[in-house]
Amino acid sequence: MTQSRNIHHTILQNGLTVIAIENSAADIVASRILINGGSRFEQTGKAGVAHLMSAVLTKGTDCLSSQDIAEKVESIGANLGTDATTDYCLVGLKTVSSDFPSVLKLAADIVRSPSFPDHEVELERRLALQGIRSMREQPFSVAYQNLRRAIYGDHPYGESGMGTEAAVSMMTREDVWAYYRDVFHPSEMVVSIAGRIDPEVAIATVEDVFGDWNPSRPETNPPILSSKTTSGYQPQTVVDVQETMQAIVMLGYPAASVHSSEYTALKILSTHLGNGLSSRLFVELREKLGLAYDVSAIYPTRIDPSHFVVYMGTAPTNVETAINGLQKEINRVCQQALTAGELQIAKNKLLGQYALGKQTNAQMAQLFGWYEVLGLGVDFDQIFQDTVAKVTAEEILAIASHHFASPPHVSLVGPQPAVTLLKASAE
Amino acid sequence: MAHFLEHMIFKGTEQFPPGHFDHVIETCGGVANAATSHDYAHFFINVASQYLEEGLYSLSELLLRASIPDEEFVRERDVVLEELRQAQDDPDWVGYQALMESTYRAHPYGRSVLGTETSLMGRSPDEMRQFHRMHYQPENMTVVIVGDVELEKTLDLVRKTFTGFSPRVQPTVQYPVSDIPMAHIHRQEMGLSRVEQARLLMAWQGPGIDHLHEAYGLDLLSVALAGGRSARLVRELREERQLVHAVGSNFSLQRESSLFTVSAWLDPDHLDMVEAIIGDRLSELTETAMSDSELSRYKCLLCNDYAFSTETANQLAGLYGYYNTIAEAKISTTYPAHIQSFQAEELRALAQHYLSPQRYSAMIIKPLD
Repeated sequence: MTQSRNIHHTILQNGLTVIAIENSAADIVASRILINGGSRFEQTGKAGVAHLMSAVLTKGTDCLSSQDIAEKVESIGANLGTDATTDYCLVGLKTVSSDFPSVLKLAADIVRSPSFPDHEVELERRLALQGIRSMREQPFSVAYQNLRRAIYGDHPYGESGMGTEAAVSMMTREDVWAYYRDVFHPSEMVVSIAGRIDPEVAIATVEDVFGDWNPSRPETNPPILSSKTTSGYQPQTVVDVQETMQAIVMLGYPAASVHSSEYTALKILSTHLGNGLSSRLFVELREKLGLAYDVSAIYPTRIDPSHFVVYMGTAPTNVETAINGLQKEINRVCQQALTAGELQIAKNKLLGQYALGKQTNAQMAQLFGWYEVLGLGVDFDQIFQDTVAKVTAEEILAIASHHFASPPHVSLVGPQPAVTLLKASAE
Repeated sequence: MAHFLEHMIFKGTEQFPPGHFDHVIETCGGVANAATSHDYAHFFINVASQYLEEGLYSLSELLLRASIPDEEFVRERDVVLEELRQAQDDPDWVGYQALMESTYRAHPYGRSVLGTETSLMGRSPDEMRQFHRMHYQPENMTVVIVGDVELEKTLDLVRKTFTGFSPRVQPTVQYPVSDIPMAHIHRQEMGLSRVEQARLLMAWQGPGIDHLHEAYGLDLLSVALAGGRSARLVRELREERQLVHAVGSNFSLQRESSLFTVSAWLDPDHLDMVEAIIGDRLSELTETAMSDSELSRYKCLLCNDYAFSTETANQLAGLYGYYNTIAEAKISTTYPAHIQSFQAEELRALAQHYLSPQRYSAMIIKPLD
């Protein structure tokens, strides 16, 4: 893929942003409709409503039933799906080029006139509750969930997108409607298209199906971050006893949002620590000590303050060694600047994988649409790469020692012996 | 052994200390990794084309001249044991392995690729070196390169880098697939303490790669059962009667015997009823040919899925390498033509032959309180 890819960007009369990228490599058009919403906009007591709304969104419009929609999509072998993440809601579609206008029209119908039928809300609500319970089957999910709650308290980032059992069990069709009306508005929406299609035609197709959409605009404010992340940092240790073969150990810190000047340096740092076979955690804790199969770092890109996590899955008897090992590597990046070689390999890796992450039409449509909905704009693609090249080891050191100065939150999932070991080591 | 060896390949050669290869590839901004299935092990690197020579040279050095150092063997075994523990904490993996064991019995397809703690502890570095010399030979190896490269130059590069294979060791036993058809339903139950819902897993043996066309027919039948919201089992069991949380069907092509599965996640109370309904729907597939409009919908889905999954160099390299390992690369492009050629009656006959509702293996997982 070339760097000089031509990205067309326009805003329709009703405020809807359109991005079109021509890529004729395959007879495919992919589109991502992103809505500035996601679980971030969920009100207190409504955790999971974004997920539920997106699950029911494709299950009926004013004129079509759930099966009508499924048959329309599946009879032409197209993909049409919805999702809700922390920062946005998503309708994604992929078709052979000739089917694109009809599938986009269907997607527009779903976005503009959903009917949220009672029985479909009830079905998906029950399945969402089951999904929340099933998450407990995966030790990693449990550990990560407990850690996020410790970091975020009541902010929606503290919950998995599925929401809480308490909230979802009380959820009604009216809640789904209320959430939809709060966040679905053309001025908060981006339609991003990539594939074998003339950008002018792509934009005209969007104009055709979305141009006359002018719903009234409700007042809506996302909840403010709970004080937990912004002040009064209180590291917690959360332990969840489960009869697992392996213990999951996680250390986590609050970290900068994508809008922070520290974002790029933290991305480089998480790459250095946790990305790939030559990363610091992999070499020190897996290659040299054989402690883990899965050992890595997580630093998600978020509108509100994010989090920085290092973790591994290890034998229950290794828990103490694992925590000390992870902490030692964090301490090291706070005390010593990366060498020139370490910095270069981290940058090359980050930029190389960044390039590999925008190969397919769906990836391209997603990336540029996402930058738009995050409020960064499509230029962020280039800005990010330029910034990576400029970050120095001294800047990373300063940011690391600032972010990781206090003890981390610790989350542990494992059998009783592992938990006992942890308690013994804490005393 | 094959999977553990895949890990040990990355532990270097006389020329390369452990970790050197990873360092080289990632310094170029590339990605390297590997995976092992029952039919083959696969190693891949994804780098910008100007680094091809360096990448290929390093990869061939690892693959042809892995030294498998004793002390690394012991250390890496701990890593594989962690991989195994992680898998054992996943109830879907546990159920699937038990299902494979009852479907394939003594054949290696019936065993987990990861091995067991006992089998891993019983292996020595010497045995692994033997295994490596036996299998990592030119006639077993396919090198696939996809990207912005020149053909002749690239072929020369492969000729130059993939030379000096280790002396050959004679292969040991081959395992025949048990081709005794199941005479009845082989049903097993397992209780697990950490699960929040029951699972019903059902499996049928399908044809091997020598009956490729028939195998693709089973791919279509799998989509007919659960390839989307309008597919038969999803529509009935999830959407209308609401007896399951999710239902899926999967067809996987393997060299000696492919595998057809139906899986459902559900309340334990519904297990019997759902298994009976799935049996009835299979009977219908074996008795009544589907309508042309239904068939054309499934064809379209599969052909588009095929097109959608061949966009990147990485996907194409994986596809060509896979087919060349289990048969030959050129058949990888015949898939859409095979799929389009099916008639409803032919599919009915295939269902009758392979997907008997009276002969299959089933694995049931129930939550323990």
